[in-house]
Amino acid sequence: MARRRHPALAAALAGAILAAAVTAGCDDGPAPPGAGGDASAAPPQPLRILSLAPNLTEILFAMGLGDSIVGRSTYCTHPPEAAAVPAVGDTMHLDLDRIIRAEPTLALLVTKRTETVRRLEGLGIRVVAVQADRMAQLRETIRTLGAETGRPRAAAGLLDRIDADLAAVRRRVAGLPRPRTLFAFPMTVGSSRIMVAGRGTFVDDLLAAAGAENAYPDRADWPTVSPAQVVAMRPEVVIINAATAGPADRKDAIRRAWQELASVPAVRDGRVHILEAKYLTIPGPRVGQAARALAETIHPELATSRAAGLPARRATRATPRAANVSSPHGCHWRLVRQCSANRHALAGKQPVAPRAPDVAEASP
Amino acid sequence: MTPRPLTPARYVASLVAWVALWLPVAAVAVVVGGRLWTWGSRAQMADVLWLRLEWVATASAVGASLALAGLAMQALLRNPLAEPYILGVSGGAGLAYVLGSLFLSVAAAPLLAMAGAMATVVLVYAIARRRGRLQPYTLLLAGVILNAFYAAGIMLVTAVVRPEQRGEIAVWMMGNIGAFGPQWPLIGVVAALAAGAGVLFAFLAKGFNLVAVGEDTAGALGVRVHRLRAVTFVAASLLAGASVALAGPIGFVGLICPHVLRMLLGPDHRRLVPAALFFGATFLVLADLAACFWEGATNRAVPVGVLTAMCGGPFFIYLLRTRWRKRMEVR
Repeated sequence: MARRRHPALAAALAGAILAAAVTAGCDDGPAPPGAGGDASAAPPQPLRILSLAPNLTEILFAMGLGDSIVGRSTYCTHPPEAAAVPAVGDTMHLDLDRIIRAEPTLALLVTKRTETVRRLEGLGIRVVAVQADRMAQLRETIRTLGAETGRPRAAAGLLDRIDADLAAVRRRVAGLPRPRTLFAFPMTVGSSRIMVAGRGTFVDDLLAAAGAENAYPDRADWPTVSPAQVVAMRPEVVIINAATAGPADRKDAIRRAWQELASVPAVRDGRVHILEAKYLTIPGPRVGQAARALAETIHPELATSRAAGLPARRATRATPRAANVSSPHGCHWRLVRQCSANRHALAGKQPVAPRAPDVAEASP
Repeated sequence: MTPRPLTPARYVASLVAWVALWLPVAAVAVVVGGRLWTWGSRAQMADVLWLRLEWVATASAVGASLALAGLAMQALLRNPLAEPYILGVSGGAGLAYVLGSLFLSVAAAPLLAMAGAMATVVLVYAIARRRGRLQPYTLLLAGVILNAFYAAGIMLVTAVVRPEQRGEIAVWMMGNIGAFGPQWPLIGVVAALAAGAGVLFAFLAKGFNLVAVGEDTAGALGVRVHRLRAVTFVAASLLAGASVALAGPIGFVGLICPHVLRMLLGPDHRRLVPAALFFGATFLVLADLAACFWEGATNRAVPVGVLTAMCGGPFFIYLLRTRWRKRMEVR
């Protein structure tokens, strides 16, 4: 009865809903400026993406799909715009209530747990689980995301950009000696072992691109090693990524721990570097940036050669600040912090960043 | 076997014998565990030697502390199942250590662990005291309950931190010898505490013997049972707390060592106290060496606490089924 009494209101409401749907469709429609070809491949319903891994969220933002993300994992904190998206837990613990409220149509995640996949599929969501443990898998992941979201061209553009970034780093380290480098995570709770990047990890690929050889000799997925094993490996450079939050004196503790291993060439030569950059281990759009940061840490001469006028792309924006801290033992330690400007380098909504000005700006 | 009377000369001789057992084992553990013959350069050898020395010193100090604490607790509570960790100190020290190392300060974490252990001691003591007297069973129960509470606290921390830190906490809770980083000051503290407690317990040993016969008898013979209990309780808790700060909770050492020694030496605590000190040290050094060999053979590290617990469980059941009812009564 109520409906019959207000036909005008009902019509107005229907119209409003329709209009909202149309505008929403326009907003979410995958039509980035200058990439009109993708529009025809767009799925009929608006894309509502659940992105459950930090690298996937970064990739989506880099492809200009940030507005389509309706839910993210707790660990997706980059780019800063991602913070505005509601967090729905992580692949180990999903907040199903929030997920249902977000009404996603597509869930993207990095997992091998079929249980998580099945649970999301049970909610009527299309689930795409990808792997990104290696550089090659990252490529595959970006292509998959491009296909799933109907934006193959944005994906191809992102891939091109990553390739160009990596190629630039490779060019710079070409001909330089390739020191045996150990990439490690520090242990927070008093542990006798540290976790290092094995051969065949994504960081192993990054080290290769950055002009270094992995000091860990075997194929392994983040093995833990004892100090005696570090002594045996004799790394020439050690990079410790203390990116997770910890107490203020953690870096001092790490430094003291390494000073005990005086026979390790990296310790002897003062080439133990403590970095604090989460993106070094995120297989996403910033891999080129990560490779460059590693290259400049491993080959300190690169920083000076750039000052001498060698071409370096985006030199002004993406150089990690390096600070030398002298230790009581006379070695010196370089702390490389993630430059805050970096955070915006690959963020934002341009799927393919204009690159010509960058080159022009940094070239001599 | 009829125990010969304990003369000062025999006491000194037994001390020398214990040192003569522990010292060579420790030396061998340094050389063999470090596989020193496999290292190329002298500098490498020096590094590995130093690391092994640090680890063997840790194992010695922790093993001695735990064995002494276990011996004293079992004697005082007249309960063969008592072990240092059962009084809640491991939980208190563990929670404080985990919180400290994750959120506050790496350097202060061991001190916090000691503080956590001490706070637990005070708490358990306050709970278990009735009309100025320490009730053994209330003491045990209070310790067990507090341990459960602290375990829940550690689980809460584990649940809320990042996934990679979860693994670290889990490994730490297994009990490890040798943190990645210099530990000498802390090793010194634990070793000094163990030595001090060894001397203290040696003086209290007669009291332990009499309390083991019966509290009333001991009281009638002039032992101030409650004071003895309080002193022993605080000392044992300090030992346990300090060793947790150094190596994490390593289980079963405090349980196995005193019982093995009672099997070998009989119930006289005057013999048992120095024996526990050195046997505990030797035992944990050997366990650490076994862990080292395991790692060398399989390339997989096994925390020494896992090893002691895996050996300790079956051994304990063996004791329970065969020896205990006949000879191993603590009282």
